[in-house]
Amino acid sequence: MLPYSDNKPKGAGDFYFAINATFRFLQRNFGMDNLVRYWTGLGESIYFQPVADDWRTRGLPAVAEYWRDFFQAEPNALVEVMCDEKQVRVDVKQCPAIFHLRKNGRSIVPEFCQHCYFVSDAMGARAGLGARIEGGNGTCRQTFAARNSQAPQNLAAIRRAS
Amino acid sequence: MIGCYDFCGHYEWTFAWVEKNFGHEALLSYWKEAIADDSQLHAARLIKAKGFAGMEEYWGHTLAEEGAGYSSIRGETSFRIDMHECPSKGFLIANGLAQHPDYCDHCIGWIGPMMKDAGFVVDHEHNHLGKCWWVFRRPDAPRPSSDAGSTAPRVENMPGWADHSTNIDRFDGATGADQKQTGGEDSSPSSSK
Repeated sequence: MLPYSDNKPKGAGDFYFAINATFRFLQRNFGMDNLVRYWTGLGESIYFQPVADDWRTRGLPAVAEYWRDFFQAEPNALVEVMCDEKQVRVDVKQCPAIFHLRKNGRSIVPEFCQHCYFVSDAMGARAGLGARIEGGNGTCRQTFAARNSQAPQNLAAIRRAS
Repeated sequence: MIGCYDFCGHYEWTFAWVEKNFGHEALLSYWKEAIADDSQLHAARLIKAKGFAGMEEYWGHTLAEEGAGYSSIRGETSFRIDMHECPSKGFLIANGLAQHPDYCDHCIGWIGPMMKDAGFVVDHEHNHLGKCWWVFRRPDAPRPSSDAGSTAPRVENMPGWADHSTNIDRFDGATGADQKQTGGEDSSPSSSK
């Protein structure tokens, strides 16, 4: 279940332009450290608290439900979500953001895909969960599991976007 | 991942984060550099190239995609939009989100600089409750324009506008959010989220 609802079933893809431009603005003007601080701050913020609370209360089934509903509301997303007792795996076969940015010829911030790790890991921390990302640049695998069960995220395992 | 479905929610959170961490000037720069010059560069190109016809084309696409309740009229010397159901502010109100004191300023924050670059100025009012109007005109054209909105229903005359007349922000011939003449902060319910 998503914490916020709109009167439309799917979001407007052009908003990915603003997400990408926000990352570029922060990186260009305030450096990569502050872009990471923005991502982490958003994941830890009151904005995502309803999600973190649900994950803490209901565990991995809530994580799986959230990502299924999330990608259902993103235009042109092709995603498979699997859940077992130890982890949730989100296989992104077509990232809706990268798809839309490419389709419209936008210059994509190379570190764009890192936001999925920093935001999601910060969201999960309040529920005792961690996020790890492999791949990127249009397709990736995102794994959510108990925080102490995962190796540290290797940022080099997240592909640069283009 | 952060998505486009709830974009207006984390966008509004971002305004508060940028302002808190880097100051109000940085927020004005964000609206200009990130939104006007980068995210919405397709709008800037259209309006620079086609003027009022470009405005009609841009807002016709984007407001339909966002599901807005609005009317617009293109005149000889101006383009007017009456927004009676802003989808963006409406999303925040419906979900009880209010991290930044004046979310509505972001529109003139990016539209103003874009219009300045294209050779236009902006007359605008918003009531912080999802209703606003806009007139775009050349700097030397009269305000209000005689040919814009003369027959279309004006949002100022609709229910829900005048009730909040003490909290209406006004901009005359403006090109940025720092040119506000009157008004105050958003009066929508504060969020507990």
